[in-house]
Amino acid sequence: MSLRNIKIEMLAWFEDRLGLSGITKFLREKKVPQHRHSIWYYTGSAILLFFCIQVITGFMLVFYYKPTLEEANASVGRIMTEVPLGWIIRSVHSWAASFMIALVFVHLISIWLTKSYRKPREMTWMSGIFLMAVSLAFGFTGYLLPWDDLSLSATKVGTDIPRSIPVVGVWVTKLLRGGEDVTGDTLTRFFGIHVCILPVFIFILLAFHVYFIQKQGISLPLRAEVNKEEVKSLPFWPNFIYREVVVWLVLVGIIFSVAIFLPPSLEKEADLMAPAPEGVKPEWYFLFLFQTLKIFPPKILFIHGDTIAVFLMILAGILFFFLPLIDNKPVATKGKVITLMAYVFILYAVVMTVWSLW
Amino acid sequence: MRRKISILLCACFFIFSFTNFGFCQQVVPEGKSEITQVNKSSEKIVSSPKDIKERTNIYVFVAWMWLAIFVLLYIFRQKIKEVDRLYHLEFFKSDRK
Repeated sequence: MSLRNIKIEMLAWFEDRLGLSGITKFLREKKVPQHRHSIWYYTGSAILLFFCIQVITGFMLVFYYKPTLEEANASVGRIMTEVPLGWIIRSVHSWAASFMIALVFVHLISIWLTKSYRKPREMTWMSGIFLMAVSLAFGFTGYLLPWDDLSLSATKVGTDIPRSIPVVGVWVTKLLRGGEDVTGDTLTRFFGIHVCILPVFIFILLAFHVYFIQKQGISLPLRAEVNKEEVKSLPFWPNFIYREVVVWLVLVGIIFSVAIFLPPSLEKEADLMAPAPEGVKPEWYFLFLFQTLKIFPPKILFIHGDTIAVFLMILAGILFFFLPLIDNKPVATKGKVITLMAYVFILYAVVMTVWSLW
Repeated sequence: MRRKISILLCACFFIFSFTNFGFCQQVVPEGKSEITQVNKSSEKIVSSPKDIKERTNIYVFVAWMWLAIFVLLYIFRQKIKEVDRLYHLEFFKSDRK
Protein backbone atom coordinates (compact mmCIF):
# COMPACT_ATOMS: atom_id res chain seq x y z
CA MET A 1 0.00 0.00 0.00
CA SER A 2 1.45 3.34 -1.03
CA LEU A 3 1.82 6.32 1.30
CA ARG A 4 -0.89 8.17 -0.62
CA ASN A 5 -3.37 5.32 -0.13
CA ILE A 6 -2.61 5.19 3.60
CA LYS A 7 -3.27 8.93 3.80
CA ILE A 8 -6.58 8.61 1.89
CA GLU A 9 -7.69 5.72 4.10
CA MET A 10 -6.78 7.59 7.27
CA LEU A 11 -8.69 10.68 6.14
CA ALA A 12 -11.69 8.51 5.27
CA TRP A 13 -11.49 6.84 8.70
CA PHE A 14 -11.57 10.23 10.45
CA GLU A 15 -14.26 11.52 8.09
CA ASP A 16 -16.55 8.59 8.95
CA ARG A 17 -16.18 9.26 12.65
CA LEU A 18 -15.88 13.07 12.87
CA GLY A 19 -17.54 14.39 9.69
CA LEU A 20 -14.86 17.05 9.19
CA SER A 21 -15.82 17.74 5.57
CA GLY A 22 -18.70 19.92 6.81
CA ILE A 23 -16.23 22.15 8.65
CA THR A 24 -13.83 22.44 5.70
CA LYS A 25 -16.79 23.22 3.38
CA PHE A 26 -17.94 25.93 5.79
CA LEU A 27 -14.43 27.45 5.97
CA ARG A 28 -14.06 27.41 2.19
CA GLU A 29 -17.42 29.10 1.67
CA LYS A 30 -16.91 31.68 4.41
CA LYS A 31 -15.87 35.02 2.90
CA VAL A 32 -13.74 37.79 4.41
CA PRO A 33 -14.34 41.30 3.04
CA GLN A 34 -11.35 43.12 1.58
CA HIS A 35 -11.27 46.92 1.93
CA ARG A 36 -9.02 49.66 3.31
CA HIS A 37 -9.90 48.80 6.95
CA SER A 38 -9.27 45.05 6.51
CA ILE A 39 -6.02 45.29 8.46
CA TRP A 40 -8.04 45.46 11.69
CA TYR A 41 -9.38 41.95 11.01
CA TYR A 42 -5.94 40.55 11.80
CA THR A 43 -5.92 41.85 15.40
CA GLY A 44 -8.47 39.24 16.55
CA SER A 45 -6.40 36.26 15.44
CA ALA A 46 -3.19 37.91 16.71
CA ILE A 47 -4.78 38.09 20.19
CA LEU A 48 -5.60 34.41 19.90
CA LEU A 49 -2.00 33.66 18.91
CA PHE A 50 -0.63 35.43 22.00
CA PHE A 51 -3.22 33.67 24.15
CA CYS A 52 -2.00 30.30 22.81
CA ILE A 53 1.62 31.32 23.55
CA GLN A 54 0.50 32.24 27.09
CA VAL A 55 -1.16 28.84 27.57
CA ILE A 56 1.88 26.89 26.32
CA THR A 57 4.46 28.89 28.32
CA GLY A 58 2.11 28.86 31.32
CA PHE A 59 2.04 25.04 31.25
CA MET A 60 5.85 25.03 31.19
CA LEU A 61 6.14 27.46 34.11
CA VAL A 62 3.61 25.61 36.24
CA PHE A 63 5.95 22.56 36.29
CA TYR A 64 8.34 24.55 38.48
CA TYR A 65 6.35 27.34 40.14
CA LYS A 66 5.27 26.83 43.78
CA PRO A 67 2.46 29.12 44.95
CA THR A 68 3.34 29.38 48.63
CA LEU A 69 4.66 32.23 50.72
CA GLU A 70 7.96 30.46 51.40
CA GLU A 71 8.65 29.15 47.91
CA ALA A 72 7.02 31.43 45.33
CA ASN A 73 9.87 33.91 44.87
CA ALA A 74 12.54 31.20 45.19
CA SER A 75 10.80 29.01 42.60
CA VAL A 76 10.66 31.91 40.11
CA GLY A 77 14.34 32.54 40.85
CA ARG A 78 15.02 28.88 40.18
CA ILE A 79 13.12 29.02 36.87
CA MET A 80 15.34 31.96 35.89
CA THR A 81 18.68 30.62 37.05
CA GLU A 82 18.55 26.81 37.10
CA VAL A 83 15.92 25.58 34.65
CA PRO A 84 17.40 25.36 31.13
CA LEU A 85 16.02 28.33 29.16
CA GLY A 86 13.56 28.98 31.97
CA TRP A 87 14.28 32.72 31.87
CA ILE A 88 13.27 32.84 28.20
CA ILE A 89 10.03 30.94 28.84
CA ARG A 90 9.18 33.31 31.69
CA SER A 91 10.10 36.30 29.55
CA VAL A 92 7.95 35.09 26.64
CA HIS A 93 5.04 34.51 29.06
CA SER A 94 5.40 38.01 30.49
CA TRP A 95 5.84 39.78 27.12
CA ALA A 96 3.03 37.78 25.47
CA ALA A 97 0.70 39.07 28.21
CA SER A 98 1.66 42.66 27.43
CA PHE A 99 1.38 42.15 23.66
CA MET A 100 -1.97 40.42 24.08
CA ILE A 101 -3.47 43.19 26.20
CA ALA A 102 -2.08 45.88 23.88
CA LEU A 103 -3.75 44.12 20.96
CA VAL A 104 -6.99 43.74 22.94
CA PHE A 105 -7.02 47.55 23.31
CA VAL A 106 -6.23 48.04 19.59
CA HIS A 107 -8.97 45.55 18.62
CA LEU A 108 -11.48 47.28 20.87
CA ILE A 109 -10.64 50.78 19.68
CA SER A 110 -10.81 49.68 16.03
CA ILE A 111 -14.33 48.30 16.62
CA TRP A 112 -15.30 51.45 18.48
CA LEU A 113 -14.07 53.72 15.67
CA THR A 114 -15.55 51.65 12.83
CA LYS A 115 -18.87 51.27 14.75
CA SER A 116 -18.84 47.52 14.14
CA TYR A 117 -20.69 46.98 17.43
CA ARG A 118 -23.97 48.25 16.01
CA LYS A 119 -26.99 46.06 15.30
CA PRO A 120 -26.84 43.05 14.92
CA ARG A 121 -23.39 42.73 16.59
CA GLU A 122 -24.21 43.97 20.10
CA MET A 123 -23.59 40.58 21.71
CA THR A 124 -20.21 40.26 19.97
CA TRP A 125 -19.17 43.58 21.54
CA MET A 126 -20.45 42.62 24.99
CA SER A 127 -18.68 39.25 24.98
CA GLY A 128 -15.57 41.12 23.83
CA ILE A 129 -15.78 43.47 26.82
CA PHE A 130 -15.99 40.45 29.13
CA LEU A 131 -12.97 38.94 27.37
CA MET A 132 -11.05 42.18 27.93
CA ALA A 133 -11.98 42.12 31.62
CA VAL A 134 -10.78 38.51 31.93
CA SER A 135 -7.52 39.40 30.12
CA LEU A 136 -6.92 42.25 32.57
CA ALA A 137 -7.73 39.90 35.47
CA PHE A 138 -5.10 37.48 34.12
CA GLY A 139 -2.58 40.33 34.16
CA PHE A 140 -3.55 41.46 37.66
CA THR A 141 -3.41 37.99 39.24
CA GLY A 142 -0.23 37.04 37.38
CA TYR A 143 1.61 40.17 38.58
CA LEU A 144 1.59 38.94 42.21
CA LEU A 145 2.92 35.46 41.47
CA PRO A 146 6.69 36.29 41.52
CA TRP A 147 6.06 37.51 45.08
CA ASP A 148 8.56 40.36 45.06
CA ASP A 149 8.39 43.76 46.76
CA LEU A 150 6.83 45.59 43.83
CA SER A 151 4.18 42.96 43.08
CA LEU A 152 3.17 42.77 46.75
CA SER A 153 2.77 46.54 47.06
CA ALA A 154 0.94 46.86 43.73
CA THR A 155 -1.46 44.08 44.76
CA LYS A 156 -2.07 45.78 48.11
CA VAL A 157 -3.01 48.98 46.25
CA GLY A 158 -5.08 47.10 43.65
CA THR A 159 -7.06 44.99 46.10
CA ASP A 160 -7.66 48.03 48.30
CA ILE A 161 -9.54 49.88 45.53
CA PRO A 162 -12.87 47.99 45.93
CA ARG A 163 -12.88 48.99 49.63
CA SER A 164 -14.12 52.44 48.54
CA ILE A 165 -17.41 50.95 47.31
CA PRO A 166 -20.09 51.29 50.01
CA VAL A 167 -21.71 48.15 51.50
CA VAL A 168 -19.95 45.45 49.43
CA GLY A 169 -16.47 47.03 49.15
CA VAL A 170 -14.89 45.51 52.27
CA TRP A 171 -16.35 42.09 51.41
CA VAL A 172 -14.87 42.24 47.88
CA THR A 173 -11.44 43.21 49.24
CA LYS A 174 -11.52 40.34 51.76
CA LEU A 175 -12.67 37.94 49.06
CA LEU A 176 -9.76 38.92 46.81
CA ARG A 177 -7.18 38.82 49.58
CA GLY A 178 -8.47 35.79 51.43
CA GLY A 179 -8.34 37.85 54.63
CA GLU A 180 -7.76 41.34 55.92
CA ASP A 181 -4.36 41.82 54.31
CA VAL A 182 -2.30 40.52 51.40
CA THR A 183 -0.62 37.34 52.67
CA GLY A 184 0.38 33.88 51.50
CA ASP A 185 -3.33 33.06 51.27
CA THR A 186 -3.74 35.83 48.71
CA LEU A 187 -0.88 34.37 46.69
CA THR A 188 -2.41 30.89 46.66
CA ARG A 189 -5.81 32.38 45.86
CA PHE A 190 -4.44 34.46 42.97
CA PHE A 191 -2.61 31.42 41.61
CA GLY A 192 -5.84 29.40 41.70
CA ILE A 193 -7.74 32.19 39.95
CA HIS A 194 -4.91 32.60 37.39
CA VAL A 195 -4.59 28.94 36.39
CA CYS A 196 -8.05 27.47 37.11
CA ILE A 197 -10.90 29.95 37.23
CA LEU A 198 -9.92 32.53 34.59
CA PRO A 199 -8.99 29.92 31.93
CA VAL A 200 -12.46 28.36 32.26
CA PHE A 201 -14.09 31.80 31.85
CA ILE A 202 -11.91 32.77 28.91
CA PHE A 203 -12.59 29.54 27.00
CA ILE A 204 -16.36 29.87 27.50
CA LEU A 205 -16.34 33.55 26.51
CA LEU A 206 -14.09 32.88 23.54
CA ALA A 207 -16.50 30.17 22.32
CA PHE A 208 -19.42 32.62 22.55
CA HIS A 209 -17.41 35.44 20.91
CA VAL A 210 -16.39 33.25 17.94
CA TYR A 211 -19.95 31.91 17.63
CA PHE A 212 -21.39 35.45 17.50
CA ILE A 213 -18.83 36.44 14.84
CA GLN A 214 -19.81 33.41 12.75
CA LYS A 215 -23.52 34.00 13.30
CA GLN A 216 -23.55 37.72 12.42
CA GLY A 217 -20.72 37.70 9.92
CA ILE A 218 -17.74 40.03 9.66
CA SER A 219 -18.66 43.71 9.68
CA LEU A 220 -18.31 45.90 6.61
CA PRO A 221 -17.41 49.61 6.43
CA LEU A 222 -20.42 51.81 7.30
CA ARG A 223 -20.87 53.15 3.78
CA ALA A 224 -20.93 49.66 2.26
CA GLU A 225 -23.49 48.39 4.79
CA VAL A 226 -25.80 51.36 4.21
CA ASN A 227 -25.62 51.39 0.43
CA LYS A 228 -25.63 47.58 0.27
CA GLU A 229 -22.50 47.91 -1.82
CA GLU A 230 -20.81 44.84 -3.13
CA VAL A 231 -17.45 44.57 -1.35
CA LYS A 232 -14.59 42.54 -2.73
CA SER A 233 -14.03 39.43 -0.60
CA LEU A 234 -11.75 36.44 -0.25
CA PRO A 235 -12.44 32.90 0.98
CA PHE A 236 -11.46 32.39 4.62
CA TRP A 237 -9.81 29.10 3.70
CA PRO A 238 -7.15 29.11 2.37
CA ASN A 239 -6.70 32.72 1.09
CA PHE A 240 -7.27 34.61 4.35
CA ILE A 241 -5.69 31.96 6.59
CA TYR A 242 -2.44 32.14 4.59
CA ARG A 243 -2.38 35.91 5.10
CA GLU A 244 -2.96 35.41 8.81
CA VAL A 245 -0.12 32.89 9.01
CA VAL A 246 2.20 35.56 7.58
CA VAL A 247 1.16 37.95 10.39
CA TRP A 248 1.56 35.20 13.02
CA LEU A 249 5.07 34.31 11.81
CA VAL A 250 6.22 37.93 12.09
CA LEU A 251 4.63 38.27 15.54
CA VAL A 252 6.25 35.05 16.77
CA GLY A 253 9.62 36.39 15.60
CA ILE A 254 9.04 39.71 17.36
CA ILE A 255 7.85 38.16 20.65
CA PHE A 256 10.85 35.80 20.87
CA SER A 257 13.32 38.54 19.97
CA VAL A 258 11.86 40.98 22.51
CA ALA A 259 11.69 38.25 25.17
CA ILE A 260 15.33 37.28 24.63
CA PHE A 261 16.80 40.77 24.47
CA LEU A 262 14.56 42.50 27.05
CA PRO A 263 13.77 39.88 29.72
CA PRO A 264 12.04 40.95 32.96
CA SER A 265 14.09 40.73 36.14
CA LEU A 266 13.01 39.42 39.54
CA GLU A 267 13.08 41.76 42.54
CA LYS A 268 14.02 40.51 46.00
CA GLU A 269 11.47 38.45 47.93
CA ALA A 270 8.54 40.39 49.37
CA ASP A 271 8.64 41.13 53.08
CA LEU A 272 5.17 41.41 54.61
CA MET A 273 6.50 43.54 57.47
CA ALA A 274 8.53 45.95 55.35
CA PRO A 275 7.15 49.37 54.32
CA ALA A 276 6.06 49.81 50.70
CA PRO A 277 9.05 50.53 48.44
CA GLU A 278 9.40 53.76 46.45
CA GLY A 279 7.73 54.01 43.07
CA VAL A 280 5.10 51.29 43.41
CA LYS A 281 3.37 50.93 40.06
CA PRO A 282 1.03 48.37 38.52
CA GLU A 283 1.52 46.90 35.03
CA TRP A 284 1.48 49.50 32.21
CA TYR A 285 -2.13 48.70 31.21
CA PHE A 286 -3.42 49.75 34.63
CA LEU A 287 -1.35 52.95 34.84
CA PHE A 288 -4.03 55.30 33.49
CA LEU A 289 -6.50 54.04 36.11
CA PHE A 290 -3.82 54.22 38.81
CA GLN A 291 -3.02 57.84 37.89
CA THR A 292 -6.74 58.71 37.82
CA LEU A 293 -7.02 57.50 41.43
CA LYS A 294 -3.94 59.49 42.41
CA ILE A 295 -5.17 62.83 41.07
CA PHE A 296 -8.41 62.75 43.04
CA PRO A 297 -8.24 64.81 46.27
CA PRO A 298 -8.73 62.92 49.59
CA LYS A 299 -12.18 64.51 50.10
CA ILE A 300 -14.69 66.14 47.78
CA LEU A 301 -17.30 67.90 49.95
CA PHE A 302 -17.94 65.15 52.52
CA ILE A 303 -17.33 62.12 50.26
CA HIS A 304 -14.00 60.30 49.97
CA GLY A 305 -12.18 61.11 46.71
CA ASP A 306 -11.42 57.40 46.15
CA THR A 307 -15.12 56.53 46.38
CA ILE A 308 -16.00 59.11 43.72
CA ALA A 309 -13.13 57.94 41.48
CA VAL A 310 -14.18 54.28 41.78
CA PHE A 311 -17.81 55.17 41.08
CA LEU A 312 -16.82 57.14 37.98
CA MET A 313 -14.74 54.18 36.75
CA ILE A 314 -17.60 51.74 37.32
CA LEU A 315 -19.99 54.12 35.53
CA ALA A 316 -17.59 54.46 32.60
CA GLY A 317 -17.30 50.66 32.46
CA ILE A 318 -21.09 50.22 32.41
CA LEU A 319 -21.52 52.86 29.68
CA PHE A 320 -18.75 51.20 27.70
CA PHE A 321 -20.41 47.79 28.02
CA PHE A 322 -23.77 49.11 26.85
CA LEU A 323 -22.28 51.25 24.05
CA PRO A 324 -24.17 49.33 21.30
CA LEU A 325 -27.47 50.04 23.08
CA ILE A 326 -26.59 53.72 23.61
CA ASP A 327 -25.43 54.21 20.02
CA ASN A 328 -28.46 52.42 18.57
CA LYS A 329 -29.07 54.84 15.75
CA PRO A 330 -29.38 53.46 12.22
CA VAL A 331 -26.14 52.36 10.68
CA ALA A 332 -26.21 55.39 8.38
CA THR A 333 -25.65 57.81 11.29
CA LYS A 334 -21.98 58.32 11.71
CA GLY A 335 -22.14 58.90 15.44
CA LYS A 336 -19.63 61.74 15.54
CA VAL A 337 -19.94 62.08 19.30
CA ILE A 338 -19.05 58.42 19.80
CA THR A 339 -16.04 58.81 17.50
CA LEU A 340 -14.95 61.92 19.42
CA MET A 341 -15.33 59.98 22.69
CA ALA A 342 -13.03 57.26 21.34
CA TYR A 343 -10.33 59.83 20.51
CA VAL A 344 -10.76 61.51 23.92
CA PHE A 345 -10.40 58.12 25.63
CA ILE A 346 -7.20 57.33 23.69
CA LEU A 347 -5.74 60.76 24.49
CA TYR A 348 -6.73 60.46 28.17
CA ALA A 349 -5.23 56.96 28.52
CA VAL A 350 -1.96 58.01 26.85
CA VAL A 351 -1.60 61.26 28.85
CA MET A 352 -2.37 59.54 32.17
CA THR A 353 0.04 56.67 31.44
CA VAL A 354 2.85 59.05 30.51
CA TRP A 355 2.11 61.21 33.56
CA SER A 356 2.23 58.14 35.79
CA LEU A 357 5.61 57.12 34.38
CA TRP A 358 7.04 60.66 34.66
CA MET B 1 6.47 18.54 -1.56
CA ARG B 2 8.17 21.86 -0.74
CA ARG B 3 5.60 22.51 1.97
CA LYS B 4 6.13 19.07 3.52
CA ILE B 5 9.90 19.57 3.58
CA SER B 6 9.47 23.01 5.21
CA ILE B 7 7.13 21.61 7.86
CA LEU B 8 9.50 18.70 8.51
CA LEU B 9 12.50 21.04 8.81
CA CYS B 10 10.64 23.38 11.19
CA ALA B 11 9.46 20.42 13.31
CA CYS B 12 13.01 19.03 13.49
CA PHE B 13 14.34 22.46 14.37
CA PHE B 14 11.94 22.97 17.28
CA ILE B 15 12.25 19.40 18.57
CA PHE B 16 16.04 19.74 18.42
CA SER B 17 15.91 23.12 20.20
CA PHE B 18 13.84 21.84 23.09
CA THR B 19 15.62 18.53 23.52
CA ASN B 20 19.08 20.07 23.16
CA PHE B 21 18.42 22.88 25.62
CA GLY B 22 16.78 20.41 27.99
CA PHE B 23 13.70 22.37 29.01
CA CYS B 24 11.28 20.38 31.23
CA GLN B 25 14.01 17.98 32.31
CA GLN B 26 14.51 17.39 36.01
CA VAL B 27 17.32 19.66 37.09
CA VAL B 28 17.47 19.39 40.87
CA PRO B 29 21.19 19.59 41.69
CA GLU B 30 22.73 16.78 43.72
CA GLY B 31 22.10 17.17 47.41
CA LYS B 32 19.03 19.34 46.80
CA SER B 33 15.93 17.21 46.70
CA GLU B 34 13.51 19.97 47.54
CA ILE B 35 13.13 23.49 46.33
CA THR B 36 12.98 24.70 49.90
CA GLN B 37 16.67 24.04 50.07
CA VAL B 38 17.35 26.62 47.38
CA ASN B 39 18.67 29.82 48.90
CA LYS B 40 16.03 32.50 49.04
CA SER B 41 16.79 35.48 46.83
CA SER B 42 17.72 38.52 48.82
CA GLU B 43 18.82 40.45 45.75
CA LYS B 44 17.40 41.29 42.38
CA ILE B 45 17.88 38.51 39.79
CA VAL B 46 18.56 39.69 36.27
CA SER B 47 17.54 37.37 33.43
CA SER B 48 20.41 36.52 31.18
CA PRO B 49 22.20 33.55 29.61
CA LYS B 50 24.18 31.56 32.21
CA ASP B 51 27.43 31.37 30.27
CA ILE B 52 29.03 32.16 26.95
CA LYS B 53 27.89 28.80 25.53
CA GLU B 54 24.24 29.52 26.28
CA ARG B 55 24.61 33.09 25.00
CA THR B 56 26.02 31.80 21.70
CA ASN B 57 23.28 29.16 21.45
CA ILE B 58 20.64 31.83 21.90
CA TYR B 59 22.10 34.14 19.26
CA VAL B 60 22.27 31.19 16.86
CA PHE B 61 18.65 30.30 17.74
CA VAL B 62 17.47 33.87 17.05
CA ALA B 63 19.34 33.97 13.73
CA TRP B 64 17.92 30.58 12.66
CA MET B 65 14.44 31.57 13.80
CA TRP B 66 14.45 34.74 11.65
CA LEU B 67 15.93 32.84 8.72
CA ALA B 68 13.21 30.18 9.02
CA ILE B 69 10.57 32.94 9.28
CA PHE B 70 11.82 34.70 6.14
CA VAL B 71 11.89 31.41 4.19
CA LEU B 72 8.35 30.62 5.36
CA LEU B 73 7.21 34.17 4.50
CA TYR B 74 8.55 33.69 0.96
CA ILE B 75 6.77 30.32 0.65
CA PHE B 76 3.50 31.75 1.97
CA ARG B 77 3.77 34.73 -0.41
CA GLN B 78 3.93 32.29 -3.30
CA LYS B 79 1.04 30.27 -1.86
CA ILE B 80 -1.09 33.41 -1.46
CA LYS B 81 -0.44 34.37 -5.09
CA GLU B 82 -1.38 30.86 -6.17
CA VAL B 83 -4.63 30.58 -4.18
CA ASP B 84 -5.69 34.12 -5.19
CA ARG B 85 -5.14 33.22 -8.85
CA LEU B 86 -7.17 30.03 -8.42
CA TYR B 87 -9.94 31.99 -6.69
CA HIS B 88 -10.10 34.59 -9.47
CA LEU B 89 -10.22 31.78 -12.03
CA GLU B 90 -13.12 30.33 -9.98
CA PHE B 91 -11.23 27.07 -9.94
CA PHE B 92 -12.87 25.69 -6.80
CA LYS B 93 -16.33 26.84 -7.88
CA SER B 94 -16.21 24.82 -11.07
CA ASP B 95 -14.68 21.96 -9.11
CA ARG B 96 -17.71 21.79 -6.81
CA LYS B 97 -20.12 21.76 -9.77
